[in-house]
Amino acid sequence: MTATIALALICLAVVLQAAFLLRRENRRDPLSHWILLVAALLLFATLVDRSIRIDFAAVTNTYESLVFFSATICAVLFLLRMLHATRALSPFVLFGATIICLVLLALSSSPLAPRDIQPPIPALRSFWLVLHVTLSFVGEAFFVVSFVAAIGSLSTRREERRADLDRLVATSIGIGYPIFTAGALIFGAVWAQTAWGAWWSWDPKETWALITWLLYTAYLHTRLVKKMRGRTSAILAIVGFAATVFTFFGVNYLLTGLHSYG
Amino acid sequence: MNRTSPPILHALFARRRPWGIVRRVKAIYRFFKSVRLAIVLILIIIALALLATLVPQGRPDEWYQGHYSAVVYRLIKLFSFEGFFSSVYFLVPVLLFAVNLAVCTVDRLVVRARNHARRRFGPDLVHIGLLVLIAGGIVTAATRQEKTWQLSEGEEAAISPRYSLHLQSFQYLQYDNGSPKDWISTVSIARDGAPEIASYPIEVNHPLRLSGITVYQSSWENQGILDVTQQDGSGTTATTGEGFQEGDSFWYFADVQRINGVWRAVFDQYKGDVRASTRMVGPGDAIGPFTVKRVSARMVTGLKAVQDPGYVPFLVALAMILVGLGLTFIQKRGDTAA
Repeated sequence: MTATIALALICLAVVLQAAFLLRRENRRDPLSHWILLVAALLLFATLVDRSIRIDFAAVTNTYESLVFFSATICAVLFLLRMLHATRALSPFVLFGATIICLVLLALSSSPLAPRDIQPPIPALRSFWLVLHVTLSFVGEAFFVVSFVAAIGSLSTRREERRADLDRLVATSIGIGYPIFTAGALIFGAVWAQTAWGAWWSWDPKETWALITWLLYTAYLHTRLVKKMRGRTSAILAIVGFAATVFTFFGVNYLLTGLHSYG
Repeated sequence: MNRTSPPILHALFARRRPWGIVRRVKAIYRFFKSVRLAIVLILIIIALALLATLVPQGRPDEWYQGHYSAVVYRLIKLFSFEGFFSSVYFLVPVLLFAVNLAVCTVDRLVVRARNHARRRFGPDLVHIGLLVLIAGGIVTAATRQEKTWQLSEGEEAAISPRYSLHLQSFQYLQYDNGSPKDWISTVSIARDGAPEIASYPIEVNHPLRLSGITVYQSSWENQGILDVTQQDGSGTTATTGEGFQEGDSFWYFADVQRINGVWRAVFDQYKGDVRASTRMVGPGDAIGPFTVKRVSARMVTGLKAVQDPGYVPFLVALAMILVGLGLTFIQKRGDTAA
């Protein structure tokens, strides 16, 4: 029920953002980020409820992962809106990232992500798994912002706006990258060692997480060391996000391995 | 080597005066300290890793023959795609990347020492951590050993020349809906014959760590035991996973099932690679040249002992990378604020 209300609230935020986007004044609406905050809290409440029922942190199946990812995107958008004083977090970026959040939450209501409350299998009952999953999604929530900002920077013709968006791409990847590294790779490897006695086994999910990490590593080196701006940099950020999405969904449904839990 | 050759090739192959060797070393150094090279190598590694995820790794040769056309199969064998991550096609770019990373790191440290610069050691820590991680990976790949045992309660296993393990009890816990909750093997450990650990529950995600060896809860099985009488009247025993040949068929002892309080053995009949039929037999039934005397079952636990000298460098590397990333973030934030 709370997840359904959150879905309705995110729809409302999208409508509000779309209205401000269509006015073409580049002004951010004053309300949608508060709506997103409420949606995030409701989604986290959904997970707390499930956690109590299964007696473990509810981030162990596709439905719970999608809900957590959506909640994190809402929370990140709220935080960036409150903390980020620049014009870069434009109505377009807010709108685009909220749309992605909406799509993820809609997917959580689809047959692809059964809602049954199932306790986790023994391999998933690990503190390291909780760190692995949650931090990966927090990092990826920042990658969502970078993705939308990169699309914005490719589509705008105004130089000043492009520079703002380019900076937002770099900032959000700069924040997301260390969190993603810690969650996806470091704590994932520690969990694998604790559960199976092998910290790296070239499982498709592991390999794709590494590919994603390498793409963002390449982005950071081109952007921060080579001082590269513009198209190439934005395209790398977009490809990085495509790899993030494939790591989450594509590997689950197209490739098989240790992470095929449903 | 003409004038338009890349500088690294020109430096390596051009005829030089005696001091040319210094130039060559300098050219190699310049080549490997390049960030552009790092980016190119990262993109190559990405492309190779991506291709390798399209082909399942480590399957038997017949599997690849059965699942791919002759041309694709030949390509898979040619480029070692069945075990790509340990092949020369993948290891060479990774090795070049490691050299590139090492030279970049040394160069950054030298330049900063020369300029008496103080800050920005976060990225260096990350780079050194990555080098330690690659070294740990090489040590793991070269020296990691693992061994598995299937034990029932009361049985023992020698996990190393010094340590032996005795299985005191094995529990299979289930949730109310019947799905598995945990497998717990409670063991005692003796070192050089003397008791070392009186009782330790090995669970999934809760391994037993001895000096240099870690013992994991790896699997479990409801192992079927079949006592049969042969045609000459003598008795023999088989466990699940075994089988026998009869004419053009192979009878495989696949499982046991308890029906109305009586254990029965499940046999799969294979003709070639194809399963032709399944048959369930109990006491008094005949199967092939055997007559079933008794069917029973016992729970066995699968324990895996792993010795991985690369694990310590791996942990050190992770700590360095985490601290390095944190420092980089804090330093960058400080710069932005300034």
